[in-house]
Amino acid sequence: MSDTKKTHPLVDCTEPNLLEETFNYDLPPLIRFDGPVMETIDGQPVEFDPAALRTRPIVITDTTFRDGQQARPPYSLEQMVHIYDLLSKLGGPNGVIRQTEFFLYTQNDRATLDRCRELGHRYPECTGWIRAVPGDFRLVKEAELKESGMLTSCSDYHIFQKLKFKSRRQCMDSYCEVVDAAFEAGVRPRCHLEDITRADIEGFVLPFVERLMRMSEQVPEELSVKIRLCDTMGFGVSFPGVELPRSIPKLIYKLNREVGVPSERLEWHGHNDFHKVHTNAAAAWLYGCDAANTTLFGFGERTGNPPLEGAVIEYIALKGDLCGIRTEVITELADYMRSIGLPIPDHYPLVGKAFNTTRAGIHAGGLRQDERIYNIFDTTKLLGRPPRVALTDKSGADGVALWVNEFFGLEGKDRISKIKVHKVARWVNDQYEKDGRMTAISDEELEAQVKELMPEYWAKYKG
Amino acid sequence: MPTVEERVIAVTARVLQIDPSEIGPNSAFSTDLGAESVQSIELVAMFEEEFGIEMDEDAALAVQSVGDAVEFITKTCKEQGVEV
Repeated sequence: MSDTKKTHPLVDCTEPNLLEETFNYDLPPLIRFDGPVMETIDGQPVEFDPAALRTRPIVITDTTFRDGQQARPPYSLEQMVHIYDLLSKLGGPNGVIRQTEFFLYTQNDRATLDRCRELGHRYPECTGWIRAVPGDFRLVKEAELKESGMLTSCSDYHIFQKLKFKSRRQCMDSYCEVVDAAFEAGVRPRCHLEDITRADIEGFVLPFVERLMRMSEQVPEELSVKIRLCDTMGFGVSFPGVELPRSIPKLIYKLNREVGVPSERLEWHGHNDFHKVHTNAAAAWLYGCDAANTTLFGFGERTGNPPLEGAVIEYIALKGDLCGIRTEVITELADYMRSIGLPIPDHYPLVGKAFNTTRAGIHAGGLRQDERIYNIFDTTKLLGRPPRVALTDKSGADGVALWVNEFFGLEGKDRISKIKVHKVARWVNDQYEKDGRMTAISDEELEAQVKELMPEYWAKYKG
Repeated sequence: MPTVEERVIAVTARVLQIDPSEIGPNSAFSTDLGAESVQSIELVAMFEEEFGIEMDEDAALAVQSVGDAVEFITKTCKEQGVEV
């Protein structure tokens, strides 16, 4: 401890250093790296270069219609087509949202797929999802899809306890038979290594994937197997030093560098059972997986999947550029999902009703002086959501002034000082002090008070 | 005609609902007279109304005592051509 202790003299200044290289208010705060990431694998130090993320062709893939839909009543055909259209708009012309997957089992599944493709969007590319049954590739072929995911569960929990194989060998042979069927059908198989974070990596996963890579050498490049690492129970851990099978760095290293699965054919699919879901997906990008699989607003089986909108913001933060992404569509998607009955908690990041709403007066005071103090980035520009205050007993006159100025749409020197809102501030204060109120004050109530107590301003700006 | 100090004390007594006799030039609005956050804003607003002036918000809210308020208001009235 004493060897690393240093003194840190104050760097005095009279002008603030707002660290705008990182906190450029026009973008989500950038994630900048100043060195390699180290991990010890099989006793040897291994370097990863996170700065390469800026140039690596990382992408976001989507499973809103598959895993996302498993967690809720089915979407209607029209709803799915509209969501697909918005996903395309959000991901932009560069296909940052590269693929989305569809069930193919019912007539409705196939009609939905057709209608989405009729929109003519290049991205997200439509892929399928089937069981590891050779006959299912007929569905993929009939749907004229180039790629389909297939279940290739790889933990002994699944191999023996669920699927009742008599041995790992029998299981592997069975999976490979389905992969062969995919090749024969001219469909690229994407093997979903279910429950990989609870699997015997050296004993089953690596030998299986090695065999898949050997099989891929026998077919054209566009048919070569993709690997989806499915952290089915959310057991994956992103930080270094963790042992397999829970270590995301080690899992990806083994598949990518030891077995030789190229990064563009590796995809991470997480679950949120331990609140690690988004960070794990971002870590997968960092350690060599090019694709992070997500769902809108994280809806998915049980605790859900990496939230797509979170991955979009992370993508921009890593790339340092919007890359053609239309971030404002995130808000449009949230509004649409709410309109069809999908509950989004008020405090949910980026789209919850209160995500950039401050209640404390001292925070409202900061916002009033410079919105950057308590707003994560220019949410007005990027999400169409100006920072707001919700008024409670903690909001103070600063909160009231901020609400009133936002309500009237006043900026700069036109803004009304808190002295001029004193009557409304008094009314708010009395609600709690005198009337014993326990709830936040609604916008409608405040609007009525402003009309009554600030008639001259009402006439000027709303009259 | 009442002096600036008498008018400041009268407004203070009305806003804080205390007896004017309890207020002197050295009384601090917050610590001695118990002015809370919203009352501080109300005091500034009522001073503006009483004297027909506009005060800089931050400067006005930084004033701590009745005597300082008298001085600040007198200066502001002079600057804004208001006779007191």
